[in-house]
Amino acid sequence: MNAEVQRVVITLPALADYVDIVRLNLYGIASKMGFSYEDIEDMKVAVSEACNNSVLYAYNEQDGMVEVVFEVHRDLLSITVRDEGEGFERVASSTSRMTLHDKELHDVGIGGLGFYLMEALMDEVSIENETGRGTKVVMTKRLMRTEAKV
Amino acid sequence: MNTNKHEKFNATTQRNEGSCTVFLSGELDLSVAPDFRLVMEPLVGNSELDLIINMKDLKYIDSTGIGILLSILKARHGVKARFVVEEVPTQIQKLFDMTGIAKFFAPNENSQ
Repeated sequence: MNAEVQRVVITLPALADYVDIVRLNLYGIASKMGFSYEDIEDMKVAVSEACNNSVLYAYNEQDGMVEVVFEVHRDLLSITVRDEGEGFERVASSTSRMTLHDKELHDVGIGGLGFYLMEALMDEVSIENETGRGTKVVMTKRLMRTEAKV
Repeated sequence: MNTNKHEKFNATTQRNEGSCTVFLSGELDLSVAPDFRLVMEPLVGNSELDLIINMKDLKYIDSTGIGILLSILKARHGVKARFVVEEVPTQIQKLFDMTGIAKFFAPNENSQ
């Protein structure tokens, strides 16, 4: 009974205008689970970045859908963002996963910042990317309870 | 905290003597990035005025927004003019620190 996992699935057009809908759903689910304000803000950014990548790179400006699955576990939230587009190897390649820390202003770009943020803000992130079969980003955040509820 | 309330992005420009302040509110994400660029475009090249972005009422920023700030930094550096961000909320400052963009923002001597 405790191990039961509940799933919430939403499917949205891969358009920038719908990414805030994902954030609103995330807020509802995560606050219901008891996540802290800061953790919810972190997850908002991470999930939006995954959606942004699907919006920007999956479908080459053609119509497509993004599926977001929230898996509610007893002590963690797992979020999957999946598209059926071409994938974003260009951005996901390891060379572009970077921050601006070691860089001078004149030689910084922003490619890869989204991936960096996902990894920095969640406990676990996995990215599966198969050419022609879409991209699946799975990320999890553990629920830290500040005070035990009986 | 209002995190559950959807807040539409807005940018308001205020001219003062010697400076121009842009007040941001709501959520700055991919969907409104073009609007933000449009507001900033005529301002970034003006080296006569200090450019200030006030983030007091900004609820959210993503990597697209951070990317635009980075391009503004570069443009301001190019025209050798000041660019300052002020009243940055904690959660957004955290993202600036994480990504490393924080070190490029000049400290604002007026704000403290």
